[in-house]
Amino acid sequence: MAELRQVSDSELEASLRDAGSRYPYPPTPNLAHAVRARIVLAPAVPATSRRVNVVRPWRLALVAGLVLVFLAGAALLNRGTRDAIAHFFHVRGVVVTKASALPSVSVSSLNLGQPTSLERAQSLVSFIIVVPSQLGPPDAVYVDPSIPGGEVTLAYKPRAGIPLVRQTGLGLLITEVRGDLSPELFLKVAGPDTHVEETSVNGDPAWWLAGHPHVIIVQTTPEDYREERLRLAANTLVWEDESVTLRIESGLSKSDAMDIATHMP
Amino acid sequence: MSTPSVEGRPLDDAALVERARNGDVNAYEELVQHYQELAFRVAYQVTSNAADAEDAAQEAFVNAYYALGRFRSGAPFRPWLLRIVANEARNRRTSATRRTLLAERAQAAQTSGEAAPSPEAAAEAGEIRSTLLSAMQRLGQEDRLILAYRLFFDLSEAEMAEALDCPRGTVKSRLSRALGRLRALLPADLGKPPSESVNG
Repeated sequence: MAELRQVSDSELEASLRDAGSRYPYPPTPNLAHAVRARIVLAPAVPATSRRVNVVRPWRLALVAGLVLVFLAGAALLNRGTRDAIAHFFHVRGVVVTKASALPSVSVSSLNLGQPTSLERAQSLVSFIIVVPSQLGPPDAVYVDPSIPGGEVTLAYKPRAGIPLVRQTGLGLLITEVRGDLSPELFLKVAGPDTHVEETSVNGDPAWWLAGHPHVIIVQTTPEDYREERLRLAANTLVWEDESVTLRIESGLSKSDAMDIATHMP
Repeated sequence: MSTPSVEGRPLDDAALVERARNGDVNAYEELVQHYQELAFRVAYQVTSNAADAEDAAQEAFVNAYYALGRFRSGAPFRPWLLRIVANEARNRRTSATRRTLLAERAQAAQTSGEAAPSPEAAAEAGEIRSTLLSAMQRLGQEDRLILAYRLFFDLSEAEMAEALDCPRGTVKSRLSRALGRLRALLPADLGKPPSESVNG
């Protein structure tokens, strides 16, 4: 082979093509669901929109917090492995575990439920949906009727006092579900770098998870796990209010999240 | 990598784009599914950082959706999208990223050009590939992008002109200059047979 510096352009191109075919790209993330969620949250019809040149206030980089991802056969989901992890029953519907390391997961699906209105969501769930008085009506509402009793998610864009969560591209998410119907509905797996703190909201039991991402696994029936990963940089406050378990995910501090939670009607 | 061919999907893309323009999110999601790997890899060529590339690609898809009203009906979707992707990727090159790149390039220089590999190792195809890719990393982002469009992602000249927002006639000259600059970054003895290097 001639010295590469002296070969013809076509020969150099051929060598580059060969090198390019083995280029060590990182794995391609699944962008489709995140993009869809962002479009659904800001549903302007593209043909009449000029949003492309507008600096949107909530520069969503959604991949996580909001991106619920199915785990593909992670060993963590094996019942034997799961039982080996110390876990704590504290808030109904939520099991918080500490693990020495988070499982390796791959992005494959977003599962926010169906976008809908508050009124429509209310007709599909078996509890009274609570909207935080401090935040007002959400920017988007999702409902997942496959969860026992139904699950509602209220999504808020960033704004003054609600910082952008880079991983979710949103400001704040509130999830509401009947915790009494599925005591182990959410399995939250926190790695060693996630701060997990037992606390209370208006005297009701609560968890505060902050710092590093944690994994959420949704258990629809005792032997059937819907595996989801929540790549949170956001902090999470989860608490129980009578039969309903609520979760706030945001970039807020514990005191700010608690302030919203304690003023929810 | 198998990159989607414009020639192989014009009707599909056109139909999906038309539906997306009318607010069909499912149609647009299908387009994103089809092009997300290409978009991410193009963004990675610019940013050399996976997180920035992911952000850029995602932002580009969202921006492209809202810009569909200005998309010319019947035009190829792929180069139009890639122009948006590359612009977003350029915007992501923060000073921190640049510092990282400089460090990576300095390291690449140490392991390729200046620290000349042994003749035996240089004769290995893997070493040649590695050195070529290291040289690519040391190129400016525009040179890297034009080479990647042509040689990694198989864009036609017409597509490159659209993606680079330049006249078609300019593509060849820019490609040639990029190749020349890449060639200048290659170590002098890369590709020589071992005996030639040892004796010569």
